[in-house]
Order: sequence, then structure tokens, then C-alpha cells
Amino acid sequence: MRIDIEAASVRIEGATILHRVDLLLKPGEIVGLIGPNGAGKSTLLKAIAGLSSLSDGAIRYDGVRAQEIGAARLARRLAYLAQDGEISWPLRVEHLVGLGRLPHRTPFAGESEEDRVAVERAMKLAEVAQFRARTVQSLSGGERMRVLLARALAVEAEVLLADEPVAAVDPLHQLRVMDLLRRVAAEGKCVVVVLHDLALAARFCNRLVVLAGGCKLLDGSPDELTDTIIARAYGVSTLRGEHLGQAFVLPWAPLGPHNG
Amino acid sequence: MLRLADADRVASVSWLSRDAANSNVAALADRVPVNHGLAEEVMSHRPDVVLAGAWSSRTTVEILKRLGVKLVEFDVPRTFDEARAEIRKLAAAIGEQERGEAMVRDIDAGLAALPSPKPPLRALVMQPNGFTVEKGSLVEEIMNRAGLENLASRVGGGGYLQVPLEAVALQQADVMILNGEAYGAPSLATAALEHPIIKALGRRLRVVALPPKLWTCVGPNLVEATRLLIAQTRGAGTAAR
Amino acid sequence: MTAASVSPVARAEATRHAWLVVGLSLIVACALVGSLFVGYAGLDVTQAIADALRGAQTLPAIVLVELRLPRALLGCFVGFSLGLAGAAMQGFLRNPLAEPGVVGVSGAAALGAVIAFYSGLSTLVPLALPFGAIAGAIFAALLLFALVGRGAGTMTVILAGVAINSFAAALTSLALNLSPNGFSALEIVYWLMGSLVDRSLPQVWLATPFMLAGWILLLTAAPALDALSLGEPTARSLGFDMARLRVRLVVGAALAVGASVAVSGAIGFVGLVAPHVLRPFVGHRPGRLLFVSGLGGAALLLLADIAARLLPIRPELKLGVITAMVGAPFLFHLVYRLRREA
Repeated sequence: MRIDIEAASVRIEGATILHRVDLLLKPGEIVGLIGPNGAGKSTLLKAIAGLSSLSDGAIRYDGVRAQEIGAARLARRLAYLAQDGEISWPLRVEHLVGLGRLPHRTPFAGESEEDRVAVERAMKLAEVAQFRARTVQSLSGGERMRVLLARALAVEAEVLLADEPVAAVDPLHQLRVMDLLRRVAAEGKCVVVVLHDLALAARFCNRLVVLAGGCKLLDGSPDELTDTIIARAYGVSTLRGEHLGQAFVLPWAPLGPHNG
Repeated sequence: MLRLADADRVASVSWLSRDAANSNVAALADRVPVNHGLAEEVMSHRPDVVLAGAWSSRTTVEILKRLGVKLVEFDVPRTFDEARAEIRKLAAAIGEQERGEAMVRDIDAGLAALPSPKPPLRALVMQPNGFTVEKGSLVEEIMNRAGLENLASRVGGGGYLQVPLEAVALQQADVMILNGEAYGAPSLATAALEHPIIKALGRRLRVVALPPKLWTCVGPNLVEATRLLIAQTRGAGTAAR
Repeated sequence: MTAASVSPVARAEATRHAWLVVGLSLIVACALVGSLFVGYAGLDVTQAIADALRGAQTLPAIVLVELRLPRALLGCFVGFSLGLAGAAMQGFLRNPLAEPGVVGVSGAAALGAVIAFYSGLSTLVPLALPFGAIAGAIFAALLLFALVGRGAGTMTVILAGVAINSFAAALTSLALNLSPNGFSALEIVYWLMGSLVDRSLPQVWLATPFMLAGWILLLTAAPALDALSLGEPTARSLGFDMARLRVRLVVGAALAVGASVAVSGAIGFVGLVAPHVLRPFVGHRPGRLLFVSGLGGAALLLLADIAARLLPIRPELKLGVITAMVGAPFLFHLVYRLRREA
């Protein structure tokens, strides 16, 4: 599915959160949506997910707008992983992952064979199958995030939108989750991830979109992420290096008085 | 009291007396001032004697006693004899013994004039929430005089009893007495009239609506209550099981 | 992992759930029949059933059909409504303390019924009684969701319930004060405590359609409530319309609870105890809990009504009193548990 974001603007109570952002999303890529706090990243992601509306501009899914597709059908093609992984009840892992199949279930029908297969596949991909009978509350933060990710994968949607999936997670799980997302994109999905971690984004995404103050500063490969752009977006200097043929970039030191 | 004393001798009566639904002397009460049972109100009339019932506010009664007012308290009569005694006591308190005796004679004459129906029919009184009348109450006396046996005394011990409709049916009561006006303001008490089992029991059960004002007061209304019961339970077209 | 190896596990679970439903249904059925056998005086029930089926108007048959049957049916339906509404509210508010009595929906429904009855409206138009109760329930539910917002914490839910209950009680007192029937305040006290004594078949026909409509609205909300366990944004991304869900729950709960209160008075705690006891048996899934909780509520209320008749206490204990005696300690226990977990 191609997602065409045209001049998207969002204004809330007079404040401009997003200003005329253009973006084209294609399958097979993992897009890192990065930028400082309040840049509008989550707002843009929510708009793409169809969860919030634009003040101006349009988003088209294969040329069709969200209202014409309908919430139910859009839910089958778009999976959204929310920022604060809220889980209200002590559900078993396999039941929670099974919730991802809800968009596919007809009313009054139980779980179908197809649903069960999808759930198994998602749990295996996210490496949480061994937890299937445990309640989510008994898992660690990182394991819980993988379970929520499995839930999103169970939708078997063409697009996966993740809002800061690794924000509160330990380094091991950060790396595993990012690696998983990269593999998922390689299989042909379109993955958009909002990230705070510059280094992770530059390392795992094959495309970076930098937002600051509601405006797009960059839309290109990680190679195009220059120090100037980073300075403008974050107000920090960087440390660059290479390890085993792979380049990495780390935020290093705050730059002088900055109004980013 | 309104029946026994001249209107110009009455300083004031309770405001409830004017409520036609619940008072037998509403018309008489219209002619005199009313009070709401407050000590101040009562004292403002400077009465020679104050009559208080069992339901008057205890605090008001205590205050009036302490103020040195001549206070005569009346209880709730449980038999016809007690009712007669109450009438005589009230008449003595206001100095109208003659009229008091006359009233008692009228009541006795009225009761004597009524037939004494036999054999007794089985009856249950249904009050709101299924309560019935306790053993040895004035209502029971009236019922007995009207040829009705109060089944409540058979169903269990004394004290308050609850009588669900099922008991009315299964105890094979002949008469069910409802406390209330059949066509007055909506009340749970008379809502029981609507229950389909009444219709289903049909001729097996006779339902009588007895307005409370007829049997909560002491006076000629007692005769009226008895007469009503007899008429409704033995009148034309009554099934005598 | 092949498809074949996945199925047995899932099939075992489906079987377990089926057993739960069957088991509960059996309990309800037994309690229903038991309720027919319990009464205030000896009654040959089997003879009565035979008579009734023949169409013979014998005394046992009349008592069975006109008194015991409506009481048993209402015990079942009212209990189901309360259990179901409780589970639905808890699923939506994502809080195990929500239930029609605690949050004030029952109290407001009672207010609506009192107004409809004592104004004389329901004597003119019998439908006015359930309508009044349902209107009261809708008002309270709307007020509740407005006060509580999205997935509110325990404190907010309880406080909102206290506020709504107090308000409803005050207005009820006012209505009784102004009622044309001077004795209304006295006679309504017992009605408000909740009871099924001397209910009639016409009352069953009056209330059941509304309850049924409420059940359908609530039961079909099951998938949405499941999705809601992950929070509102995720639930919406799964294709569920939150605004429509809220309307469905308000109307459904109001219909079920309102119609129940119109015939039985305010009975509380059934919607608290039933879902709580049964939640572990459905893996804490709010969707699965709905129907099961209804069955649990029906069983609970029928058993309480049987107990009311069997207990040697006279005057007979009101249903609302029995459920409160069981439910209030339960509530304390829940509050304590939630405080510890917080």
C-alpha cells in the first residue's frame, strides 16, 4: 500500500503542531520519524493511522482517503502500536496477541484457523511464543513490549506504525525490537517508527524523516543526515564512527544557546 | 373532640383534621383554626386544656407539661371497650361528659343495629409491603364484629406479620381487606388490586377496600367501618365459599 | 509450527469455556426450578404444573402461574441484567469497581420509577414505569461517563458514583415529599430496598422486552470491550468507534438496569460480585465475561431470593438487603486489594 501525505497540517488551539508536511510511504521500507520533543512526530503518526484528523491537507491510501475506506477495512490494512503500552487486565500473552485479529473477525464468529495461524506466526516472529500461557503483568518491560509488537504483527497489515516502541526498554530488547522491525520491512511491509534514539534510528532505518517545530527538515537515507541538520533539529553535536563496516552516529554534546 | 365541643370553645385543632382523605371531621375542622403541633403555636391560644395523642411529638408534650399546661394524653385503643373509655376520658377533659355519653350510646346503638353475620368468613388485611394487622388491634375487633376471622392470628405469633399474596391464596382466605381508597392517589397499597391473581381467584376471594380514616380514629366512624365490611362481604352477589 | 499443532490447545480452551457456560446455565436452571418449589405455604408443585398445563384453574395452578412463576422469571432476568450490566461497565471503564448500584445508575432508575408511579403517569400508561426508570438510568449513565472521562482511576469512579447516588436519593426524597399520596414516603422505603414479592406476569411482559433489547446491545459490544483493554487509541486503530460504543453501552445498560429497577426496586452489588468471581474463569477477557457474568448474576439473585424465603427471619429480608450483606464486604475487599496493588 502506498500512503500519500499531502501538505498535512495540524493546528490545536491556535498552536501549529504540523505545518504542510509532505511524505510518501512505500512498502518494503522502514522509516524512522525522528526529531525533538513536540516536533509533531506522534501527531503525524496518529494522523497516518487515521486516529486524528488533519486541519489541512490530505492523506491517501492507494489514492483513496480514509473516510472512503472505512474504519473497519482500514483496521485490517494498518497496524498501530501506541506509545504507552496500556494493558488494563491481566491477560494471557496469547489472548493479548489474539486481539490483533479483531479487525479480521466477523461478528459472532470465534477464532478461525487463519486467526490461530496468524497469532502463532506473530508470536514466533516477536520471540514471545514461550510466554504464551503467562499473564502480561508477569513479564518484564522489554518482554511486554515484544508482546504488544506481536499483537500489532498479528493484524498482518500492510503497514505497521509504531510510536516509540523502545523508549522504556533495556538495550537488549531495543536491539531485538529494531532488528525485528527491519526484518518485517524487508518482507514487504511499510514500517514507520517514531524514535527518540538518534543512534538507533540512523542504524536500523533505511529512510529518515526529521521533524522539528512541525516542519520537515529531512526526508532521505541515513547518509543524508548531516551534522547541520542534527544541530538544527536537536541542538547537539555528534560523534561519528564506523564499526565492522557499519557507520554510527551518536549525539555528543549540547551546542551553545539554541532555539530549536 | 370536634364532635363533642362547640366550635367556639375549640381554640385550635391539628392541621391533619382538615385532610378529607384521612379525617372524618374535615368539614368541622374547617370552622376552627389549625395548628401544626408546635408548642409555641399551642401556647399562643392560651388553652385551658391540651389534648395530645399517642403520635404527638414527645418533645412538644414535654415542653407543654413543663410550662404547667393541663395536658391530657390519649392512647391508641385496641378494643371497643377501650374506645368507649377514650371517648369518656376526652369528654371529661373538656367538661362535656353529657355529650360524651351520648356519643357512646350512639355508637352502641349503631353497632347493635347491625346484623351479626354467621358463620365467620376468613379474612386477611393487606397493608403496603404485605404487612397485616397484629393480633388484638382495633381493626381485628371491627373485623370480628363484622363476622370476619382474622387469619393473621392463625398464620403465626403476634407482632407484625407479612402476608404475601401467596399466603392469602393458599390460606384460602375468603376476604382480603385493603387499606386504602381504591381510586385515590397512586399507592403501593392499592396496587395489589391490580395483581392478576385477584382476578384469577375470582369468586373465591372478595376484595374490600377499607379507607384508613374509618378505623384509625375513635368515634362514630367505627360503626361506619363495621357496616361497610358487613355490606361488602355479605352483600348481594357475595360468594360464601 | 504447523496449523495442526496449534488447534488442540485452542480447542481445549474452547471446551473449557463451553463447560463454564453449560455449568452456569445448569445452576441457573436449577435455581429457577428451585424458586418455584419455595414459597410461603405447602404447594404440590408437580400437581400444580400438571393442572396448569391442562388449563385447569385449581388453586395450586393459579398460585404457581400467577405468583411463583413471575417471581422466578424476574429473579432470573433481573439477575442476568444486573450481572451483564456490571460486567459491561467494568469493561468500559476498565475498573473492577464499577457496577450499576455503586455508580448510581440503579438509584437514578429508582428515582425515575418513583416519579412515574406517584405522579399517576404509570396508572394511565403502564409503559410509563419502565420508561421512567430507563430515563433515570440513561441520565445517570451519561452523567457518569461525563464525570469519569476515559478509563478513569478507582477514586474518580467511586466519587462519581457517590455524587450521583446522593443526588438521586435527594431528588427521590423530594419527589416523595411532593407526592399526592401522603403515605408514599413510608411505603416506598421497602420498595427501594429491592424485592420480588408479589410480582405479576404482566410485570414480566412489561419489563422483559426492554431487558432483552439491553442484553443484545451489551452482548454485541464484546469485541469492542476486548479491544479496549489495550487503551482507546489502539482500540480505535483496530476499527472500533469509541463514540458509538459509549452510546451502545449507555443505552444498553440503561435499558437492562432501568427495566429491572422498574419491577424490582433497587438491588445492588449483583453487578459487582458476579463479574468479579467469574473473571478469572474467562482469563480476564472483558468480552467473554459478559454473557457468563449475566448467568452468574441470574444464579446469584435467584439463590438470594430463595434464601429470603427460607430464612426464618420475619419480616422477610428484602433482596437488596441480602445482596448488600454479601456485596458490601466484597466491595471492601476489592478496595483494599486495589489499594495494595496501587
